[in-house]
Amino acid sequence: MSTKHSIAAAKFVANKKQAAWHNETLWMVRAKRDKMSKDIPEWEQLRDLACNIKLYSNSHLEELLQEFEKNATANGAIVHWAKDAKEHNEIVLGILRDHDVKHFVKSKSMLAEECELNPFLIEKGIEVVETDLGERILQLMDVPPSHIVLPAIHIKREQVGELFEEKLGTEKGNSDPTYLTRAARKHLRDKFLNAEASMTGANFAVASTGDIVVCTNEGNADMGTSCPKIHIAIMGMEKIVPDQESLGVFTRLLARSATGQPVTSYTSHYRKPREGGEFHIIIVDNGRSKILGQPDHIKTLNCIRCGACMNTCPVYRRSGGYSYTYFIPGPIGINLGMLYSATEYFDNLSACSLCLSCSHVCPVKVDLGEQIYRWRQEMDKIGKASKEKKVMSAGMKFLMERPILFNSALWMSPVVNVLPRFIKYNFLNEWGKGRELPEFAKESFNEMWKKNKVK
Amino acid sequence: MKIGLFIPCYINAIYPQVGVASYRLLKSLGLEVDYPLDQTCCGQPMANGGFEGEALQLAKRFDNLFKDYDYIVGPSASCVAFVKENHAGILAKEHHECTSSGKIYDICEFIHDVVKPTKLNAKFPHKVSIHNSCHGVRELYLSSSSEMNVPYYSKLRDLLSLVEGVEIFEPSHVDECCGFGGMFAIEEPEISVCMGQDKVKDHIETGAEYITGADSSCLMHMEGVIKREKLPIKTIHIVEILASQL
Amino acid sequence: MNSKELILESIRKHTQTKYEKPELSVDAITYPDKQAKFCEMLQFVGGEFLILKEGENLNEMIMRLNPEAKRIGSTLSYITCNTFNPDELENSTELNGTDLAIVEGLFGVAENGAVWMDQNVKHKALYFISEKLIIVLDKNKLVNNMHEAYRQMEIGQYGFGVFISGPSKTADIEQALVIGAHGPKGLMVILK
Repeated sequence: MSTKHSIAAAKFVANKKQAAWHNETLWMVRAKRDKMSKDIPEWEQLRDLACNIKLYSNSHLEELLQEFEKNATANGAIVHWAKDAKEHNEIVLGILRDHDVKHFVKSKSMLAEECELNPFLIEKGIEVVETDLGERILQLMDVPPSHIVLPAIHIKREQVGELFEEKLGTEKGNSDPTYLTRAARKHLRDKFLNAEASMTGANFAVASTGDIVVCTNEGNADMGTSCPKIHIAIMGMEKIVPDQESLGVFTRLLARSATGQPVTSYTSHYRKPREGGEFHIIIVDNGRSKILGQPDHIKTLNCIRCGACMNTCPVYRRSGGYSYTYFIPGPIGINLGMLYSATEYFDNLSACSLCLSCSHVCPVKVDLGEQIYRWRQEMDKIGKASKEKKVMSAGMKFLMERPILFNSALWMSPVVNVLPRFIKYNFLNEWGKGRELPEFAKESFNEMWKKNKVK
Repeated sequence: MKIGLFIPCYINAIYPQVGVASYRLLKSLGLEVDYPLDQTCCGQPMANGGFEGEALQLAKRFDNLFKDYDYIVGPSASCVAFVKENHAGILAKEHHECTSSGKIYDICEFIHDVVKPTKLNAKFPHKVSIHNSCHGVRELYLSSSSEMNVPYYSKLRDLLSLVEGVEIFEPSHVDECCGFGGMFAIEEPEISVCMGQDKVKDHIETGAEYITGADSSCLMHMEGVIKREKLPIKTIHIVEILASQL
Repeated sequence: MNSKELILESIRKHTQTKYEKPELSVDAITYPDKQAKFCEMLQFVGGEFLILKEGENLNEMIMRLNPEAKRIGSTLSYITCNTFNPDELENSTELNGTDLAIVEGLFGVAENGAVWMDQNVKHKALYFISEKLIIVLDKNKLVNNMHEAYRQMEIGQYGFGVFISGPSKTADIEQALVIGAHGPKGLMVILK
């Protein structure tokens, strides 16, 4: 009874050294987050507030998005609306073509990944350069990210060293992270200076002021928007917050949850276009408005893409981002994938032991684990329930509804203990992959009670 | 107060001694305990696998079996949490009001919060490492969850500190999942086993001789790993420690 | 119907429960010594601080601490150790190759060592493009936390502002922290 996730995860974890490193490194990020959160006595209060601000904002999107557009436009920004990924890509292309852009730099945006923007633009002859170090490494390797905040977490320094040796001409055998980062700085500095347009995502969009807020550490988003004259900011519509004051809550939660820093190096507020430049904002739907109609899953729209759920998830840490079939992995990815297309991404539902650590670590209190449980109940309705699980559940139901049968099964169970090993542990017995079977007791509790042996 | 003893299916079949210890412990505290016959299952394995509907009849049966008791007490945080959190919703689909969810307790929770003994007749001169199971921590609040910024507390530790001679430890990843997860254990066996191995290693590193907790399901999974790899640690349900002299 | 109308229609159609706007009152952390906390956090995030003492000359201190800086840019009237004025440049790209940029911040935030910059220079690249950045800040302009910060934060005519906390950094290679990514490799806040 395997899923695409379980098959891929089995391969990942079979490489014990890699899996252990991935697991421990991400746990350390969780530990850094814990330390930071314990320094803030009002941490749980902030989480409650953040959740409530998001629930309010996402249930008043009509008003808030229009307020945002009005203020942004008054500030001189050009606001576009994209109903889906296709339209988003076309709007971006349109802006770039209008300004004859050949060299385009972008900072990290999960929305751009969602819309598959890069291959679309590259096919149209535009050079698209990822400027976040992790994303640039992956772009040069031509592989996708495996984590939404630490995209290259699965790549070792030696691999980066070899890559840069080939693509950037760095010293052979030098895999020192500082040396490699300096090489990337030089290489990307060139790109910043010569680009004609840049793109950023948006961590937050403030309705009352029309600001786009971008939180970064590397300075790549700000370098990108400081040299080229055209800035395109793209935002999923659930990024809207009502006012500046609410940012006080979110900026205190975001970096602490994501990387264990008190705040990102840069929290940039883009309000007006630069002198002689243009500032475009694209508001994207792409299925988000439909999520509003699913009260069981509406809290996924609270997500501020911090990645804390991935860092804490014991399954993600041991299976890696590539084991998931949706482009965003981990607990939030499982849920977003199901909302995007349940029939396409249901394989990821197996990637969860329902431990609920994710729900407890989430700064905006998305009920991640609880939603996964609910999604599992939907599987049979959409014809995607695992046949083996269905048979097993039906079998258990049959047995458990019939106490006489259950009791005789209990009576029979010690027999299982003495079955020859090769029967007990054949390849169908998934339990046996690494564990001995428990021994069934000679007398069940039911029997002992009936024989008056429980005193 | 009339207490109905809830014995989960796998305790019935595999660890009946935990049931016996639970009975003895509650009796020793002067409580009126009864075991309504022919209990089978609370429905959690089916529901976690995605077949909540299969648990409907079981939930009804459960509610009827225990309807005349003031409290339902069972030695399994996971099963108790399932009844508490999910039976009402399952039964509501048939407009049946669930009476169990409001009065069901894990035995540790019950003794700690309701009975509140100041001493126990218990002696266990061994080093034990507390296994804080996920549903125990995050659904029944048996201890503070490591994710949250709340003052530390642990009901299991409080109860163990009434036991003579016991030395209490907790693993470094204090409430990370052991990897059992019900159907998860066989749907993603490689990850499940890896999680189990890591968890057992963490417990061994405390120097403890026993892993103890409120969930036999977790203990059963870790026991499976321990036996396969012949590791130097044993498992024991906390109730067996608390009833050790009875 | 254009896309905006389609989207708004979809939002209208699907929105169910209308949640209330929460009251934004937080028992937020405050510090008995904001300056000490600010300096501690600034160091924690990889930055440096200098508290200008009575009688000390700002320009002399800057020169003494940055002996290797050849190309120094500043628009501040009280900075005399600069070698050029960035506002006199036509394009922001011309700022590339600046060893040291000296700018002024409006207020600092104790809980995270951040300084609020409301752009008051012609090219905002000045905050990001130099090898090292010095922010001059009035030591009496410190707030406790981001709630207080956002209550007083304003953005002026240039339409850009940024909270800067420490130098640029990355840990994208094996989670090994490297100070200095694409922005300044060093940051110093001089409190005067």
